[in-house]
Amino acid sequence: MLSSSKIIELRKVLAERFPRQSATPSLCIPTGWAPLDSLLGGGLPKGAITQLLIPNISSGGAIVLHEIIEAMQELSRHVALIDGRDCFEPLADHPLLLWIRCNSVVQALKATDLLLRDGNLSLVILDFKESLEKELRKIPGSAWYRLQRITEENRNTLLAITRHPIVSSAQITISTSHRLLIDDLSRQRSDLVKFISLEITRSRTRQEYQYVS
Amino acid sequence: MYHNITGCFAVLYIPFYALQSARQKSILEKSALENRPLNQLSFEGIKTDIPALGERGNSDDMSFDLPAALLNSDGVHVLELNPAAEQAGIQPGMSTSQAIARAPGLLLYRRSPSNEQQLQQTLLQLVYRYSPLIEESAPGICTLDLKGKRIRKHQPWLRELLAQLRAIGFEAQAGTGPNPEIALQAAKIADPILEISGDSALLQSLAIESLEPSPFLLDILKSWGIRTLGAFTRLPREEIAERLGLEALSLWDRAAGRSAKVLQLVQPPETFEESIDFDQHLETLEPLLFILRRFLENLSLRIESVYLLIAELRLTLILDDGEKIVRILQIPVPTRDVETLFGIATQYLETLQATAPVTGFHLGVTPSRPANHQFDLFHGGLKDPNRFFQTLARLAALVGNEKVGIPKRIDTHKPDSLQMLIPKLSWSLTEVKTNVPPKTGPGLRRYRPGIIARVELNDGKPVLMHSSVISGRILEARGPWKLSGNWWDRARWETREWDIALDNGGIYRIAQRGTTLQDQWEVVGVYD
Repeated sequence: MLSSSKIIELRKVLAERFPRQSATPSLCIPTGWAPLDSLLGGGLPKGAITQLLIPNISSGGAIVLHEIIEAMQELSRHVALIDGRDCFEPLADHPLLLWIRCNSVVQALKATDLLLRDGNLSLVILDFKESLEKELRKIPGSAWYRLQRITEENRNTLLAITRHPIVSSAQITISTSHRLLIDDLSRQRSDLVKFISLEITRSRTRQEYQYVS
Repeated sequence: MYHNITGCFAVLYIPFYALQSARQKSILEKSALENRPLNQLSFEGIKTDIPALGERGNSDDMSFDLPAALLNSDGVHVLELNPAAEQAGIQPGMSTSQAIARAPGLLLYRRSPSNEQQLQQTLLQLVYRYSPLIEESAPGICTLDLKGKRIRKHQPWLRELLAQLRAIGFEAQAGTGPNPEIALQAAKIADPILEISGDSALLQSLAIESLEPSPFLLDILKSWGIRTLGAFTRLPREEIAERLGLEALSLWDRAAGRSAKVLQLVQPPETFEESIDFDQHLETLEPLLFILRRFLENLSLRIESVYLLIAELRLTLILDDGEKIVRILQIPVPTRDVETLFGIATQYLETLQATAPVTGFHLGVTPSRPANHQFDLFHGGLKDPNRFFQTLARLAALVGNEKVGIPKRIDTHKPDSLQMLIPKLSWSLTEVKTNVPPKTGPGLRRYRPGIIARVELNDGKPVLMHSSVISGRILEARGPWKLSGNWWDRARWETREWDIALDNGGIYRIAQRGTTLQDQWEVVGVYD
């Protein structure tokens, strides 16, 4: 059996000999929401998956989701939200939001696959925050790599929101560990946003996750 | 409508037209039933073992060099033959058994007048692209007046036209000449294109019979030793008129390329339809999809010839039990792209539940002019709206129609009152109205349906909650927030909501539906 270092070496040789056309420098898709765009240097990376990790129960994940959707509306850009457990609560009309209300993780993954392959919408958000952990753990790693390949080919972006780090093919993982208090319910959203600090917990180059795959 | 003519004419001639149209239908149906890959369905020298009726024939060669015969509609007598069948000694009018006795490998096709008529329409639509002055001279023969066509070389466009006809299953020939009769003669002897100009040696060498003089006149000319048009036109015109009269004068003019014949001009039909009645009933989807693709290719070609696009597909399936399923499919962005149209139609057919085998299939399309709209620089439009709407249909099939769309809140205070709007084509150009209410507090992730819970109260306030998913001690509770509506009708609703902080760190909204303290509690959602 070949050692892991030999396998990595072999993959590097193959990657050099058969360069992928999609390995061109990636551009960003600006979300219009300043905290996220400034953190990522312009926006979500195009042709890649970004994982937003929100481990706490009430930690401002829905605030981030609403802020991104509203900011995309202001940029007059379409956005698709694949709701893994049909739990999104619109606070206003979102005329450029396509909302897919799924009942299971499998359904949500299929819907994501369809929308990414379609290639018409540049940003697809997959919200698994409220999905059951036991269902999420059943997602094979290959499923995430398949989605990554599709985003690469179609040059669109997938933002996956989860409680646990399950997206093995994510180029960037962002996390927030904020905790909401009951007093926050009566605060202005603009004030709440200030307390939500996002940080990049993992950032891989495209080459890295290609070798892993 | 009559039109006087001089100059240059082209004739498109399909030899053995009825036989070829019957053969085309037979090939299409057989190939569909055999589920032959599409890339093998070429009418150019196709090799197949289609023996036609009753599995006659033992050859696997479908080339037209094999003896083939067209039977009348009831399949009893031979109507038309190809040269190979004639050489085998078969003659029109023979019975099927007599014909088979003379050529055991004979390919037999049953005549289909409706198919012939449909193909004649196709022919007219295709040739109309090259000249607006066209005559439907006979079944399988179209004459084009090329007056005003500045192009001197006719070979390129004639080749293009013949290629289009080959694509829909016809082997055709084309000829040009100074008048319609000579052009027709040129077409009949062409391989596959022949151009005869007014002074060409070929014109001079054509047999005098090619202009179809009356038998009386032909006898006289033959007795004079006149065999070709060249020999005839060398005789003085005036003296021919004096001796043989007006018919001979007309013949002389035609032989010299000076025809005075008028074309009976026609407009091609504006209907774009294809249909087929199956000899063998279809019970699976694959053959139908095969034929659907073929029909779409034909219709797309026809629509292209009039510079239009397809805006609507009309599918009709005739079932064995007499039922007729009709479905009209709108194309979001009119197109001629066969793959797109095929995808839209396939998506419908895949979900169709038929109660009986399919005996007939009809496909009509509605043409449309190209849309005149320009996307805004600052509005992100859909790159491929047709594909997007196909994806939308697939998503609806996956999660349900009511679970996909653009969320729109209903004007009521009742919680979770939403409607899902289906995106329209104009979605890509939607103007966003910045009418956002003041934003307070975090967002709610709503459990649909709510999680049934048992809540203990102390002094009217919730202190402990237990449910199958979320349980814990309530650290702080705010409420109740009383909401009610529709008290004037049966849709009356009433709820008392509380916001609670649980000892697991979560902030939840719980509610009690109804008016009494004994009513059921549920966890509405979690603030996040």
